[in-house]
Formats: sequence, C-alpha cells, structure tokens
Amino acid sequence: MAHAHAVKRHTGLMDWLTTVDHKKIGILYLFAGFFFFLVGGLEAILIRVQLWMPMNDFVSADTFNQLLTMHGTTMIFLAAMPMIFALMNAVIPLQIGARDVAFPFLNSLGFWTFFFGAVLLNVSWFAGGAPNAGWTSYVPLASPVYSSTHGVDYYVIGLQIAGLGTLIGGINFLATIINMRAPGMSFMRMPMFTWAAFITSALILFAFPALTVGLVALMFDRLFDANFFDTSQGGNAVLWEHIFWIFGHPEVYILILPAFGIISEVISTFSRKRLFGYSSMVFATVLIGFLGFMVWAHHMFTTGLGPVANALFSIATMLIAVPTGIKIFNWLFTMWGGSIKFTTANLFAVGFVPTFVMGGVTGVMLAAAPADFQYHDSYFVVAHFHYVIVGGLVLGLFSGLFYWWPKMFGRVLNETLGKWFFWLFFIGFHLTFFVQHFLGLMGMPRRVWQYLDGLGFNEMNLVSSVGAMLMGLGTVVFIINMIVTGLKPRDAANDPWEDGRTLEWTIPSPPPEYNFAQTPLVRGYDAFWKEKMEGKNAMTPAEPLGPIHMPSPSILPFLMSVGLFIAGFGFMYHNYYIGIGGLVLTFGCMFLRSVIDDHGFHIDPEEPQDKGVKA
Amino acid sequence: MSAHSHVDGQLPHEPEKATLEGRNKVLAFWLFLGGETVLFGTLFSAFLALRHQVLDGPTEQELFSLPLVAAATFILLTSSLTSVFAIQAMHANRVKSMINWLIITVILGLGFLGLEIYEFYHYVQEGHGFTTSAFSSAFYTLVGFHGAHVAFGVVWISILIAQVSKRGLNVVTAPKVYVAGMYWHFIDVVWVFIFTVVYLMGKVG
Amino acid sequence: MADQQSTAQNQGRRHKAEGPKKHIIAFIFSILLTVVAFSAVAAGEVNETFIYLILIGMAILQVFIQMAFWMHMKDRGHLYPIIGILFGVVIVITCVIMAQYWVWWS
Repeated sequence: MAHAHAVKRHTGLMDWLTTVDHKKIGILYLFAGFFFFLVGGLEAILIRVQLWMPMNDFVSADTFNQLLTMHGTTMIFLAAMPMIFALMNAVIPLQIGARDVAFPFLNSLGFWTFFFGAVLLNVSWFAGGAPNAGWTSYVPLASPVYSSTHGVDYYVIGLQIAGLGTLIGGINFLATIINMRAPGMSFMRMPMFTWAAFITSALILFAFPALTVGLVALMFDRLFDANFFDTSQGGNAVLWEHIFWIFGHPEVYILILPAFGIISEVISTFSRKRLFGYSSMVFATVLIGFLGFMVWAHHMFTTGLGPVANALFSIATMLIAVPTGIKIFNWLFTMWGGSIKFTTANLFAVGFVPTFVMGGVTGVMLAAAPADFQYHDSYFVVAHFHYVIVGGLVLGLFSGLFYWWPKMFGRVLNETLGKWFFWLFFIGFHLTFFVQHFLGLMGMPRRVWQYLDGLGFNEMNLVSSVGAMLMGLGTVVFIINMIVTGLKPRDAANDPWEDGRTLEWTIPSPPPEYNFAQTPLVRGYDAFWKEKMEGKNAMTPAEPLGPIHMPSPSILPFLMSVGLFIAGFGFMYHNYYIGIGGLVLTFGCMFLRSVIDDHGFHIDPEEPQDKGVKA
Repeated sequence: MSAHSHVDGQLPHEPEKATLEGRNKVLAFWLFLGGETVLFGTLFSAFLALRHQVLDGPTEQELFSLPLVAAATFILLTSSLTSVFAIQAMHANRVKSMINWLIITVILGLGFLGLEIYEFYHYVQEGHGFTTSAFSSAFYTLVGFHGAHVAFGVVWISILIAQVSKRGLNVVTAPKVYVAGMYWHFIDVVWVFIFTVVYLMGKVG
Repeated sequence: MADQQSTAQNQGRRHKAEGPKKHIIAFIFSILLTVVAFSAVAAGEVNETFIYLILIGMAILQVFIQMAFWMHMKDRGHLYPIIGILFGVVIVITCVIMAQYWVWWS
C-alpha cells in the first residue's frame, strides 16, 4: 500500500491504556464493572448485616446512609452500565459483521471517562464521607443545608464525568449499528441483542443529557450558591425529582433492554430453535424504549401532581406491561418443543423468565396510583426494583457472560462451578428479596438504619440477610470459576456451543484484531444457522482477501479522562488553578487529536497472526 | 476503507460523505445534536419553571432591552448564513472562499459573545447576579450554556481554519468543516428559541 | 453499509453546483420572522396569549426553515437525522409540559 505508516505497537500495561480495539475495551469494561459490582455487593452485605436483627448498631446511622447511597449509585452506574457496555463492545461488532465500532478512539474515551468518574465517586470514602442522600439524591436532603460534607459533591461531579463516557458510548454504538453492518445485514436480520443494544443506545442518547442538566444544576446549587432547588430563594425541589426521573426512568430501560436481548439469544441457541416471533420482539423493544420516556412521574405519585397527571402516568406505565408480556410469551414459545440444553448460560436465562415476571407484576401493582400511596417508600418498592434489576438485568448479564465468555477469552467457563454459582445466587436472591415484599406490606419503610423489636419484622429480615450471604457466596464461586478457567489453555472452538446462530460464532475465539478476514455476506436472519442448514460451515465472503486498515492506538483518551478527574477535584474544593489545569489537559489532548491525523496501519490477514486479545 | 483513498485524485462532490469515516462522523454528529436538543430542552424547562421566581431582584420586563437582543440575533443569524456559504464553497472546491467565509463566521461569533458579555455585565450592575434568585440562576445557566457553546464553536472553527489553510481540503478535513457548520447552525437554532422564550416572552410577562 | 453507498451515489448524481439564492431567501425569511416576533412584542398591549402563540409560531417556522435548508434536512439521506431530532423534540415537549403544569401547585 502507498501509505504503510509504521505504528508503534505497545505491549503490557501500555497496550491496555492505549488500546482502541473494541474487544479489549470490552474486557476493560468487564473487569472495571465487575470490580465495582464487588464493591457494591460488599456494601449490600454490610447493609444486610446491619439489618439482620432489630436495633443493631453494627454501623452508625451516617455510615448506613453512605452505604445505602453508594450501593445504589455503584450498582446502577458503575457496575451494571459498564458490564452492559462490556458485552456490547465484545459482541455487537461481531454480530453485525464489522471490523470495529464506528469510532474506536471515542470508544476508548468513553471507557476511560467512565472509569475515572467511577474512581472519583469512590474516592469520597477516604475524603470525609461518601454521598449520603440516596442514589436519587433528592433535594433538599442533597442541598448544602442538609448535606454539608463533600459527599454529594463527589456524586454530582463523579456521575457527570461517568455519564459523559456513557453518552459517548451510546452515540458510538448507534453510528456503528446504522453504518457498519455487513452486506445483507438489514435491520430486520439483526440479532436480537444488537437490536436491544441499538434501542438502549438511543435511550442513552436522549436520557443522559437530562441527567447532565440536573447534575449541573445541583452542582451550581452546591458549589456556586445557585438557587435552582433552594426553596428559600424561589427554587423548587419537585423540579429536581422531575429532571432526575426524566433521566432515571429511561435509565432502567437502558438497563433491562440489553438483558432482554441476551435472553433472546441464549434461549434461542440452547433451544436449537429460531426465536419465536422475531418481528414482534423488535416491535416490543422499540415500543418499550418509546414508552420508557413517558412514564417518569410514576416515581412521584405522592408529590401531589394532581389526579390528571397521576392517571395519565398510571395508564402509560401499565401499557408497558403489554410489550413486555409479548416478550415473555415469545421466550416461552421459543423453548416450547425445542431440544433444550441446560447449560449455565441457559439456566440463568430460564431462571430470568419467572423472576422477571414477578418483578413486572409488582411493577403493575405499583403503577396503580392509589395503591402506590400505600407502597410508596416501603420495602415493597425495594423488593420490586431488585426483582427487575437483579432478577432481570443481573441474571441476564451472567447468562450473557457465560454464553460469550469463550468468544471474549477463548476459554469456556467451568460448567460445574457455573451451576453451583447459579443455584447459590438464584436461591440467595429469592431468599433476600421475596420476603421484602411482605416486610413492605407490613409497613417497614425503606432506607431505615434500625427497626424496633416486636413489629414482626425480625424473622423476615434475618431470612433476607441469610439470602444476601448466599448471593455473596455464589459470587465467590464465580470468581473462583474465572480464575480456574483462566489457568486452562485457550482452546475454545469457533462455535463452542455447537449451536451458534449468529455471525460471532463464525470466527475464532477470541477473534483476531480485525475480526473478519473477509466481510461476510449475510443471507438471512440467524445468518450462521442459515448457512449451517444448507450444509456449509462458513459464511460466503462479500469481498476478496486484502490488507485491512486498522486505527492506531492512542494514549489521548486516557489523558483526557485524567484531565477531567483532576478538574473535578479542583472545582470541588474551589481550587480553580487545579480545576482549570485539568480542563487544559483535557482540551489540549482534544486539540492534539484534531490536528494530528490518524493514518492507522494495515494488517495483511494472510500473514500468520498471533490470536487477537490476551485474557 | 482507507481515509486517504481520494487524497491524490479529484476531490469528490460531497467530500464530507466520500469515506465511511466521513459518513460516520456526520451521522454521529446528527445524533449528538439530538442529544443536545434534550440538553437544551431540559435547561429550557428548568428556566420556564423558575422564570417568575425573581424575589427582590429585577424582573424580566425591567431587565431585558430589545434592541440589544435584536442586534445579537441579527449577528448570529448572519453568521449562520456565512457558514452556509462556507459549506457551499467547500462543495465547489473553492478553498480560499471557504476559509474567508469561515473567518467571517468566527468574527460574527466573537461579536455575539462580546454583546453577551456586555449584557451580563450590565445585568450584574443592576443587581441581577447569578445567586440573586432562582430566576437569575436559571437564566444565567440557560443563556450561559448557549454562550459557552458559541465560544467552543469559535475556537473549534478557528482551529479548522488553521488546519485547512495548512493542509488543504481533503476527505479528512472536509467532514470536520461540514460537522462544524452543522454545529454552528444548531447554535443558531437554539438561539431562536432563547430570544423567543427568554427575552420576548419575558418582555410580554 | 451497502445502502449508505447507494445513498451517496444518488446524492452525487443529483448534485448540481447549487447557487446561494435559496439560502439568501431562507435568510430573508428568517429575518422577516424575527422582525414579526420582535414587533409583536414591541407593539405590546395586545392579548398576551395571542402574542405567545405568534412568538412560538414564528420560532417554530424559522427553525423549520433553517433546519430544512441550512442543515440540509430536506435533502435525501437524512432519515436518521430527522428521527433523531424529532425524538429529541418529543422529549423536549414532554419536559416543557412538565415545567408548565407539574412543578408548582396549581
């Protein structure tokens, strides 16, 4: 080629800091997300230890508030979101037959901004107290008057930075799915996980700017004495609730839709059947995405919006049960008459279905505004959202991790340990949260540090705490599984489950840097399965073999995020030199990115290549 | 697809869409503008909710002067037109004329910023500071966000002018200029709503 | 990817060196709409609701013209931009309804 630029290839740590390869960024997201999953899990276990008996004083009230706030914030923003992005990065380009995402550089930037935002948020533990106003950070509790430590400052600035990374990732995946599909991969031939990722990315694009505005306003209130939410200066506290939930409700669909996608893939593969009602699944996903924006005020029935608003939001919320029901029945019909294999991935998927239905049913109960006045702020709500988030998203994520682990790392996770993990986690989960429905109905309020003896709460709280321990034990088994598997040779086949239906199973595990030596020609839904049914074991290529252009690695995304991290600190402590210094670093790197052309380099797929990413 | 496949030959008609990278960039920037719509929409809602909460500070009617806003509007509208001319020049492959139009756009943007700074300074003199009331916080945040976008656009387009004059127009620089043009129009569109909702409606009451 | 390439070709075929004329017309329209809005306010002392409607109408019309002509949204190959902006607008409308009716006691 005329422009064979020599590009320095890094190794070791520098390789991971500079990588723009979606597969490696997926692994970075996975380990960062899993680390924060452990942190959030530890916080949850400490909460359950505090609540295992009445009037316990294992932690102080203020520490309890911090644990509770950070558990929610960590699990949603720092554990669930990155693990979703991990699977999206690892799988989406492969499923649509692309060599990488649309913007490899931005992909790396998205990860590092998320990572440094997450680190900043957790630094608060060592800097005078974590955020303590709940993950929703309602004012006036989160206002400087009632929350005078720097905790909530860490919340607004850390989430701001992490949210920027998420927004970048969302735009990147939208552009990737719209523009980078292989020839023949029309929208109605896309695998369900890709569809779910597409709608999720759209929700991210339209929901996160609202969070940005809310956080900016709260930051201005706290750091620069603005009056958005300060009622004594004409501000309004309900406004925060609205802005937060205009973001926050789409956020829960951002979390659950990818899980729906994963479950669709896993159930279809391990039932050896085409996904039942594919087009209705697509329709339901789009509809859930749209309705997700129109229901935010069901979190605010008790603020007094009036009967008209409450009725509207009640009906809109109940409507979402319709497309969700379509999905549930489609999964059941996919399994119906299939030759089902109960691998760990499929166990998680099958366990997901009834668990998520239970969360959905309590969701419809909560949607009835008059009834919600009874449930509001009780443990019933806690049980509901843990059923949809843990019983929905987390089971889905683990299903996806077991399913795609061989594709990410080239090693199949140990099935025996996997099944132990599933049963411990699944039973532990139901023990923990099933009883909380009844605690709520009996009147135990959420977010309380202690409860009195003799209210009938004791036994169920004890059961709940035992369940949490079981979930923790299950997670330990999973960690052991990761280590045991990591020590084994990397020998996974292209299609380790032997029933793979989509494009990612046509290439080596893990895939080479360029994914596809030749872009495949897609001839139908379940592209690989279609070829298999015609007796072929490979895709028809859509282009001749030739040199492949690759983007160069870059340290700039890392430095830009470091700059934001420093700036966050500077502004928080009103040290404007440091704050501006951090911003100069960020914008300086942005300037360099703009003026230095990235020529990339070429790989010749005929040359023997070492096999892609290292575990 | 190489970013350089057209460098040596004739520049294609719409150079911003000649490569996959260029098309990705234009598409992603449109999506980004969709997100920006929500960002400004939320800022507008916060402003609308708080705009009567003036407390002891001056009200909108006392504060706003229509001639100043009209001048700022005229400047920004004109700059949007000049940036259209720049993109047209780009499509006709007249690099020199494109750079000239971009320079005019930047100068008009600076003029707008100057007026806005003068306006803010004037308001603070009249006792309408950032912390005066909920109305003043929401006002400065909304209009300030827009001003910050203008400032960012001015710096961005200036860098692009330097780049294009050094390296010329090709399939790498063309998408950047096109996207910056879109950004500039979007800023103008947001301003249309700012002068309508903040200033004119404020004047009405 | 395939459909994008064909879109690009269509645009190439359709493309003629377009003059500045329609953009200047769009500019004149923008200025006119702005003048109408400003003078409606400057005239004052009319029905408030009526003026509000005029203002919002002028703003929407002006933005529509600018997006269609200056941002090329009327051209082919702008399906995703239109979907993206429209969906953003839908959310903005709900936000504005929220700000108007559900923040303060009424």
